[in-house]
Amino acid sequence: MRRRIGVWARRAGIALVIAWSLFPVYWALNTSFMTNAEAQSTPTHFLPTRPIFTNYQAIFGAGPQSAEAAGGIGRSLVNIVVESGGATLLTLVIAILGAYAFARLRFRLKNLFFYTVLGTLTLPVYATLIPLYRIMSQVGLVNTYLGIILVYASGFMPLAMWIMYNIFLALPPSIEEAAVIDGASMLQRFYRIALPIAKPGIAATAIITFLLGWGQFIFPLVLSSTGSTQPLTVVLAALEGRHVVPYTIINAAAIVAIAIPAVLVFLLNRWIVEGIIAGSVK
Amino acid sequence: MVAPLLVFILALALYPTVLTTIDAFMHIDALTPPNHFAGFGNFAAIFSNPEIRQSFENTGWYVVFGVGLTLVLGTTFGLLLQRRFRGRGIVLAIVILPWALPGVVEGVIWSWIYDPTFGVLNSVLKSLHLVSQYQLFIGTRQIESILLISLVQVWQITPLATLLVLASLQGIPGEIYEAARVDGAGWWQVIRRITLPLIRPGLAIAAVEALVLSLNIFDQVYVLNAGATTASSVMNMTYFVTFQGLNFGQGYALSLLATVVTVVLSLGALKLLYRKVTF
Repeated sequence: MRRRIGVWARRAGIALVIAWSLFPVYWALNTSFMTNAEAQSTPTHFLPTRPIFTNYQAIFGAGPQSAEAAGGIGRSLVNIVVESGGATLLTLVIAILGAYAFARLRFRLKNLFFYTVLGTLTLPVYATLIPLYRIMSQVGLVNTYLGIILVYASGFMPLAMWIMYNIFLALPPSIEEAAVIDGASMLQRFYRIALPIAKPGIAATAIITFLLGWGQFIFPLVLSSTGSTQPLTVVLAALEGRHVVPYTIINAAAIVAIAIPAVLVFLLNRWIVEGIIAGSVK
Repeated sequence: MVAPLLVFILALALYPTVLTTIDAFMHIDALTPPNHFAGFGNFAAIFSNPEIRQSFENTGWYVVFGVGLTLVLGTTFGLLLQRRFRGRGIVLAIVILPWALPGVVEGVIWSWIYDPTFGVLNSVLKSLHLVSQYQLFIGTRQIESILLISLVQVWQITPLATLLVLASLQGIPGEIYEAARVDGAGWWQVIRRITLPLIRPGLAIAAVEALVLSLNIFDQVYVLNAGATTASSVMNMTYFVTFQGLNFGQGYALSLLATVVTVVLSLGALKLLYRKVTF
């Protein structure tokens, strides 16, 4: 009897965990398919009586409410993809090279360099925000993709290096050693052997870096003042702050902003978990 | 192979940090040039500004709520999801979801939930007769505003704590539980005396991560607190002083202060809480 109570308590608990994790997203979805009148009805409707798609049409510039609602959402979606994608590529190339060297090679000042890179993991946003803005405006990279990508990448590199370092360390060195005996050069050993076996780890690092880029807000807020480079996060916050666009449309835009991360989580969650754990264990 | 990495870290992380440290002691104000050495002038100005002082207190509350709630929820979720069951994979994906979404977007979604005129929170509380009329939740009462904004961040970072707890739980050998059960320990005793002490390393890392994230809270406050100082965090004040008020010197001073506090507290907490566990 006690055992059965335990089983049901656990099931109820898991149901609550699911509700807690999903409710806000369900609520945004629900609102995004409603007319403004229905969204404002009291008591609240928990499902749209007749789902409509005009809110989604509006944010991409179609329909009567489009002019102010669109507010550059389409462009900002392109921007966020370019910026988080570009930063992910740059971060991966540089962090993987560094991580491999730290994990497998011997060179002078290795420990000093390693702890310098790792030490910047503890630096909060505060430490670099204002100077990075001033540096970027001095070199004319404010309102450019390059400026944003450089800043993102420099912020993501320590974590990506740390995840990849742990992944390289966990790979058995024996295969690489066998290749060295067969006369492979250091680059061949890295490129032909270590990289292919580390592929799952690289995928995990790539997904986590991409999600970090997708979630950026304060850096692009400071580094881009025009719609030409503002990512969706910045444009959505501005749209919400103006208080003229109806909440139904805002929620549709929010759903667009979370669609790609959500798909990544549902398709690739094993790698995300692996990356998070590899990045946390010290 | 490490050269490109070092160049990036030196140019775009360490050099800016040095600039912050130096410029915190400079008068750099776009409205009252020229720039000159100011000693501790910026710090004096910060501490005599009541709105900034309030943001220190507010950030303290964000840390208390953020770390406390994240650890409690993360541990509970981890214990619930520990055993294998059908559909566990999809449940784990659902649990991770909030972590993967942008903080700003979460702020936008929750601000509609908290909406004073049409929000679902008001609707539910009213139909349960917990409030007599619709409430303005954020903007007037300090602690309530902070708690509700913090809850949005807790929603985002609880998955991290859950994963760390789950990873630690997997390392505990099953025999320990069996031995405890043979000795007649109840489930609460097992959790208190065995599970919690053994997952301490995971909890310590989760606590430090929650500490750093809540000390740096910005996105959720930016959206939900919309300009009011009631619930402003230090990061929001730094942004406001620097990029709205154009007083870079004071912004640098706030940044340096916050950087030092973040680094010292996170390393201190790690040292205090982290213990290697051996079986």
